[in-house]
Amino acid sequence: METVMARAAGTTSAPARSATRRGPGIRGRDGVAGWLFTAPVLVILGLFLVLPIAMAAWVSVSSWSGLGSPFSSTVKFVGGANYAALLAKPGLAQSDFGTSLRNNAWYVLLVVPVQTAVSLLLAVLVNRRIAGQGAFRTAYYFPSVTSSVAITVIFLFLFSASGTVNAVIGWLGGTGPGWFTETRGVVQLLLQAVGVHAPAGNGFLGLTWFDWVAGPSPAMLVFIVMAIFTTSGTFMLIYLAALQQIAEEIDEAAVMDGAGPWKRFWYVTLPMLRPTTFTVVTLGLIGTWQLFDQIYVGSKGGPANTTLTPAYLSYSQSFINNAWGRGAAIAFILFAIIVLFTVLQRLALRERTPRRRRSHG
Amino acid sequence: MKITRRALLAAGAVLTATATLAACSSGGGFGSPAASASSSAVSSDNHQPLTILIGTSGDAETNAVKDSVAAWSKQSGTQATVNVASDLGQQLSQGFAGGNPPDLFYVTNDSVATYASNGSLEPYVTQLKNKDSFYPSLVKAFTVNGKEYAAPKDFSTLALVINTDMWTAAGLTDKDYPTTWDQLEQVAQKLTTPQHVGLAVSGQFERLGVFMAEAGGWLVDDNGKAAASSDANVQGLTYAKKLLSEGAMKYSSQLGAGWGGEAFGTQKAAMTIEGNWISGAMTKDYSSVKYKVVKLPAGPKGEGTIQYDGGWGMASQSKNKGGALDLVTYLTQPDQQLGFAKAFGVMPSVQSIADQWKQQFPEQTAFLDGAASSKSIPSVAGISDVIKNFDSQLDGLSSTDPKQILDKVQTNLQALPGLS
Amino acid sequence: MAEAAVQTRVAGARVRSRMRRRRSPLGVTGRYALLVGIALVYVFPFVVSLANSFKTDQDAANNPVSLVPKTFTTAAYQRLFQSDLPLWLTNTVIVTVLVTAGRVLFDSMAGYALSRLPFRGRNAVFAGLVAVMAVPGVVLLIPKFLVIKQLGIYDTYPGMILPMLADAAGVFIMRNFFESVSPSVEEAARIDGAGVFRRFWSVVLPMSRSALITLFILSFQASWNELPQMIVSTQSPRLFTLTKGTAQLASGALSAGSQFPIKLAAATLMTIPVAVLFFVFQRRMMNTTGGATKE
Repeated sequence: METVMARAAGTTSAPARSATRRGPGIRGRDGVAGWLFTAPVLVILGLFLVLPIAMAAWVSVSSWSGLGSPFSSTVKFVGGANYAALLAKPGLAQSDFGTSLRNNAWYVLLVVPVQTAVSLLLAVLVNRRIAGQGAFRTAYYFPSVTSSVAITVIFLFLFSASGTVNAVIGWLGGTGPGWFTETRGVVQLLLQAVGVHAPAGNGFLGLTWFDWVAGPSPAMLVFIVMAIFTTSGTFMLIYLAALQQIAEEIDEAAVMDGAGPWKRFWYVTLPMLRPTTFTVVTLGLIGTWQLFDQIYVGSKGGPANTTLTPAYLSYSQSFINNAWGRGAAIAFILFAIIVLFTVLQRLALRERTPRRRRSHG
Repeated sequence: MKITRRALLAAGAVLTATATLAACSSGGGFGSPAASASSSAVSSDNHQPLTILIGTSGDAETNAVKDSVAAWSKQSGTQATVNVASDLGQQLSQGFAGGNPPDLFYVTNDSVATYASNGSLEPYVTQLKNKDSFYPSLVKAFTVNGKEYAAPKDFSTLALVINTDMWTAAGLTDKDYPTTWDQLEQVAQKLTTPQHVGLAVSGQFERLGVFMAEAGGWLVDDNGKAAASSDANVQGLTYAKKLLSEGAMKYSSQLGAGWGGEAFGTQKAAMTIEGNWISGAMTKDYSSVKYKVVKLPAGPKGEGTIQYDGGWGMASQSKNKGGALDLVTYLTQPDQQLGFAKAFGVMPSVQSIADQWKQQFPEQTAFLDGAASSKSIPSVAGISDVIKNFDSQLDGLSSTDPKQILDKVQTNLQALPGLS
Repeated sequence: MAEAAVQTRVAGARVRSRMRRRRSPLGVTGRYALLVGIALVYVFPFVVSLANSFKTDQDAANNPVSLVPKTFTTAAYQRLFQSDLPLWLTNTVIVTVLVTAGRVLFDSMAGYALSRLPFRGRNAVFAGLVAVMAVPGVVLLIPKFLVIKQLGIYDTYPGMILPMLADAAGVFIMRNFFESVSPSVEEAARIDGAGVFRRFWSVVLPMSRSALITLFILSFQASWNELPQMIVSTQSPRLFTLTKGTAQLASGALSAGSQFPIKLAAATLMTIPVAVLFFVFQRRMMNTTGGATKE
């Protein structure tokens, strides 16, 4: 291995290498090292993630019913039939899928921005040298490590009709909703309060347009709060690591222009954290679109399918209905949606990047 | 865009790899698809060890089943292991896909059609020596397309559970247990106070369906065809809607409870409609609440309730079907079932020990009495989605026309194979 | 040049600590009120599960939010310890140690390569990484089982551990972390003629302690709490982990009652090691300022 590296290195001259980081390295020792460094991950993910994905992809266009191998001769290729049942054919399968997408879209829309902001806030708060810093950090990290069963149980109780949250709303003079029974969306509830009612009309994927904009149900809202609560600690960690790394650079910049703390945060820290924000938003998007555990433990999609999500639907189609093809098809449509969102947010974050890091090199 | 194109290329490469793997596998590990289940008599190597997978309600059930199986094992000389599932559905699916499912496992009547539809289950019941000892309605509940797939091991029916303290406090006596819809309405109204509601039920077809049954309706007619939008069903739901609008009945979810038993146990309701599993929950979680179980009142077309059945499923891929058959026979014997009933409170599936069971559990006789007039969820693949959709519509029952709900259910039912 | 960087950095750290005290957007009291307030909210669920784990089933079902058990009982813990808990714990520790070690090493290597080593196909690898994360895991359970079985490692330790040795999210986090770090220090080592492996091992890794500790904590937490992978890869009771064992203990139908105490006792037992570990290691994250060049 060493000799290979040395020979590879010999093909490029030292000055050229140090002057431009990206040019000749591709063929040089960096190129070989790049593959060597990624090899363990590629082998493991290839075997236990990419290969299963490929098998699931086959299942999504097959008639596999769950008995025996999906590659046995009795399993037939059915083309896009499973996808068509979800996207093109009016019926229960389509409207359930449409409902699940609607629910999950609201969840993503509300969770991702808030959890990103909250985790950044937490990270900034505990990044400073203060007494009890370790205790605060640990406290903020607690919901992330407490079992999801425990947290779900507690949230279900807090938000029950006679639970703590409604009691507090009562003290404040309001009336809390039946969090796990109200099936109308919060936007719809607000509209009805000012006298606007659901118009009849056409729609998309078996739901009317009004259904799409009706907002998350109160039950989904509870899961939204819970998600922010349980993931902000994890993302705080990621921000914290980045803040530690860039701390001195921030100070250099601040000393130079004598900026105040808010300004410094807004114009120096935040732009420097952009790669981290990219990490957090991407992981957030992926995680929120795959909402499953909390639904599985907490609501099984109820009330009235308002917390049904594509991932849960995929599970129930596969494991409860033995409709493995349709379950897999749901997963791949979801996959396409997530990839689309990731690409979009990558473009959005890249657009405004003024290439600050490069100027260092 | 770049990402997707590259990902596609990568996926293509992997597909090739998968195909290779699949090709290798045909000779070995994945095994050939199971031989057609419908063929010939159950026969196999009787010395192959058996595995049994159960989803348990707790240590009592686990130990009772283990002891029974061990006793059989000793007697027959065939090794048998009982495994407790962490997730029964997933573990069964793995077994079926991988070609080595447990030989015997728990199935319920609402999942039997799903497993039967892909040939995972062996329709072995006709070969059981004690086949005729079961309640016929239970055997029927496990019958799909004319084949009997699982030996019933126990069952539950729904009955009316009454909080006796609240009952007395409302000035009601033993003579007032409701036997008609009108009487149920009256006592529910009487029992409704600012502190608690008269009747609480889970807002689902799985509970409210009793009113449909009592009105003479059901999801399917006698020929097994979809019949959700019948007048009888409309009548049943209209009655439930009336109770809701009067405030005499509430959904458990409106009371902040997960199911009827919780609303009842936390004393937010004076009555609920539940199955005999409620007795376990009452003993463990709410032992201070005194209660009595009575039969559900009769509707316009007589008595009616819903039954839920547990049975023993046998994998068509089992390598020792003879042994498995023998074990099922052993486990469903009257004395074994009585032992299970004592250990973890289930209702036996054989008629011959009904009286003994009633003596053992006098407070639960109403559940067993319901067996005669009970209906079960039709065993058709895909029914669970239709019922889920039905449930979500029932959520808005108080403000919706029952006919409209049932029409939609009918449409969904008709889309299922064999129902239209 | 490296020397100069060190100078600036040390000076910067000093200036910073002075500045911090001088300029704070909130008053000291205000900031503490905020910190304590949020901390109380965040610890609340843990305290509730701890309190409920010492209650009787009855008490927990009837008064779940009360923090004081009516009758204090350790029944739930006794039941846990009577089961095969020691075995489950051993298995969990074996899996967690190996998986965490593997992930920290492999994820950071791959993350480094994807950020700093320009090789042909790098963008495709990165895109593929994001793509595989985007497939919902629930659909992969059965295929993963089939692969594990086909490889002949079903119901073995390798079957439990190998599939978890690397994770796409960890690589993704590390790659983006290296993107946010200025490459100047490494550049100096490169000019000195250090090879890729030496640069990675003795310059980059020590400098990235905060990110490595983050990855360590996340990997530990993930492998400690993993359940679906354990169901997919094992069946014999000999290989049960804490999650699988307690999932089975606390499973059961409505008739078994709500069983809150035992579920919450298990949750508490599983939470504490991760929390302690975090408490210990978060301190080290702070000390890394200045990284390799300090000390």
